[in-house]
Amino acid sequence: MHYASGGQKKAPTRPIVAARRRRQLHPFFFQMGPVALTISSVLLIALMALLYLSQLSQALNVNQQIQDYQAKQAVLQRQNQDLVNTLAQEQSPAYIAAHAQAQGLVPADPKAVEVLEVPGLQSVPNQQSGAAP
Amino acid sequence: MSTEVRRARARQMLIFLLVCVGMLALLGRLYYWQVVEAYSGHKLALLASQEHIHDQVLTASRGLIYDANGLVLATNVVRDDVYIEPVQFSEDHPDDLQEALSQTLTALHSVLPTLSVAETRRAFMEALAANRWSLLIARAVSPQQSERLRELALPAVFLAPQTERIYPQGDLAAQVLGYVGYVSGSSSQQGVYGIEAQYNSLLAGKPGSLTAERDLYGNPLVVGASSEEPPVPGANLTLTIDSTIQYFVQTQLATTVKQLGAQGGTVVVLDAHTGAVVAMAGYPSYDPNQYGRYADQTGCLHSEEVYLNPALYCAYEPGSTLKAVTMAAALDQGLITPNTTIYDRGYLTFNDGTPMVTNWQNQAWGRETMTEVLVHSANVGAAYVAHDLLGPARYYPYLARFGFGLRTGIDSPEATGFYRRPGSPGWTPSDLARQAFGQSILATPLQVALAYQAIANDGLMMRPYLVSAIDANGHVTRIQPQVVRRVISSKAAHELTSMLEVAAIDGSAQRALVPGYTVAAKTGTATTQGISEDQTEASVAGFLPASHPRFVILVKLDRPQASIYGGTAAAPLWKTIAQELMWYYHVPPDQSQ
Repeated sequence: MHYASGGQKKAPTRPIVAARRRRQLHPFFFQMGPVALTISSVLLIALMALLYLSQLSQALNVNQQIQDYQAKQAVLQRQNQDLVNTLAQEQSPAYIAAHAQAQGLVPADPKAVEVLEVPGLQSVPNQQSGAAP
Repeated sequence: MSTEVRRARARQMLIFLLVCVGMLALLGRLYYWQVVEAYSGHKLALLASQEHIHDQVLTASRGLIYDANGLVLATNVVRDDVYIEPVQFSEDHPDDLQEALSQTLTALHSVLPTLSVAETRRAFMEALAANRWSLLIARAVSPQQSERLRELALPAVFLAPQTERIYPQGDLAAQVLGYVGYVSGSSSQQGVYGIEAQYNSLLAGKPGSLTAERDLYGNPLVVGASSEEPPVPGANLTLTIDSTIQYFVQTQLATTVKQLGAQGGTVVVLDAHTGAVVAMAGYPSYDPNQYGRYADQTGCLHSEEVYLNPALYCAYEPGSTLKAVTMAAALDQGLITPNTTIYDRGYLTFNDGTPMVTNWQNQAWGRETMTEVLVHSANVGAAYVAHDLLGPARYYPYLARFGFGLRTGIDSPEATGFYRRPGSPGWTPSDLARQAFGQSILATPLQVALAYQAIANDGLMMRPYLVSAIDANGHVTRIQPQVVRRVISSKAAHELTSMLEVAAIDGSAQRALVPGYTVAAKTGTATTQGISEDQTEASVAGFLPASHPRFVILVKLDRPQASIYGGTAAAPLWKTIAQELMWYYHVPPDQSQ
């Protein structure tokens, strides 16, 4: 209700208090009594708890997966290390010499080697990188 | 108010007061535990957090060591230690402990044949009496044994994985590598001796940490509130050692030592231009995978532990191989030429009280050139040059320039050797005369090899090195050859090389000659005062091809019995190694046969 400016009448206070009470009791678009509000709150909390538990469960599952992957990684690393070790052993000169001997091979007799000097001959580059010191 | 009502109220008041007192007591106790005790050093808070917080040190993997061709010399593997839980086992078997223990130990013995059932039973009962939670019964079992134990799933028996340092090549370059083990005063393993010790901080890396809550089974919950600092793996090292040559040198050295009945021996092979160590072998040696078994063994004429690298630690009197250094000093200062002559009566006397110097078996060579002094390996000629021509002021600076008495700077722990010089306690001119032919001076095999490297490299001494590259998680640092100093002029180096070539051809190093290649070498046969003269240090030092030096080789044999001279004992091995080097590296011959 509007009044002309300069009017002496005061605005009534009762309707404002009523509106305030209405806002307190009906905070949303739909009307909700105290019981409904309590049930809603409980439900909301329950929903949040459910969401939290769900998230927690997912996190634990992920954690379990990570642990499984880490365990698999450890096993694979262990296998890899064993393979590196085996490979190194089988590439070792001692291993190769022993197997060559087992197959009947013998070291070349230095006395049987004849050295020929070819003027201007260059050594054949070693194809294996790092073989030359 | 009636009396009954008053009494009732008094009772109520009493009960109320009692409840209040009880509540106050509880509050006080609560305050004590929650405030006073919890924050007095945070003991309770710490204990509480320990219950559910997982705090773990993440160990960094130790860096690998490769040879020059990329072959793995040192690596890591995970092996399981086997434990049994005595308390848990006894709780699980309250009525039939002995019977169950027998069954378990028999099952363990079937997988671990070296495990003594009786000994383990005794240890178990002792551990049980001491209320020990766990008992180690086998260390570092093989992967197959681990698998079988997992399949058996024995109660109260568990496997604890441990990282082990492994040397797949066994004893190859063991004294160069060192090993990894526990040292006194340290709870963790670390490099001991050799490269493992020298580069321990690089190889070890940096451990990380993980702090997280635990789940029901004690596993860390890495999702959520956790903090992790990942470990930094150790750097990988690439050595200059060539495994093929190293193996050849080691096996040939071991064979020669055994054939000649020597106490030991050392071989050093250097790249003549860079100073890179191609091979470095000592005998006796050890297997770093089982280093504990060699704790009571010694090398270097029983003066050092077998773990020490004799090429770097076993100082000896180099004998006549040092005559090349005496000649180098005189050539470089222009005091002699290869053709300068002296008259050699087989002995040399001095006016300053220095005892007379004689040749081997008092052999008189008459008039001889400086080249012939080397050919004859004449002590008289060498002593004359050092004592009469050079003198202390011009001789000792050259010993220092050649690195004697100093560390070579190699990237491994080493000894310096020793010799008396003017100013040293007990020095006399006699020391000068004797040092001229390699007595009264202690040098390591590497120092002698390095002196010849300087001669081979136009007078430039290089810093010897064992590590050619360091790979720190992808950041590769390549070690470049470093010139230490110019020792003699290029002209003097070439003149000396020619003299050593003739000395090899006409002198005592003939058995070191390699068909097709020119060789510059000098033999040495050193005796030790106070012991029989047939107990020698037989050696040969030299390089080839003399025209374009590629490799410097030093061979030293400790007290060979079957043959005692450098020219007969050490020279054949020198030749074998030299020939293998020429073939392996496809070095073209520089001389027709």
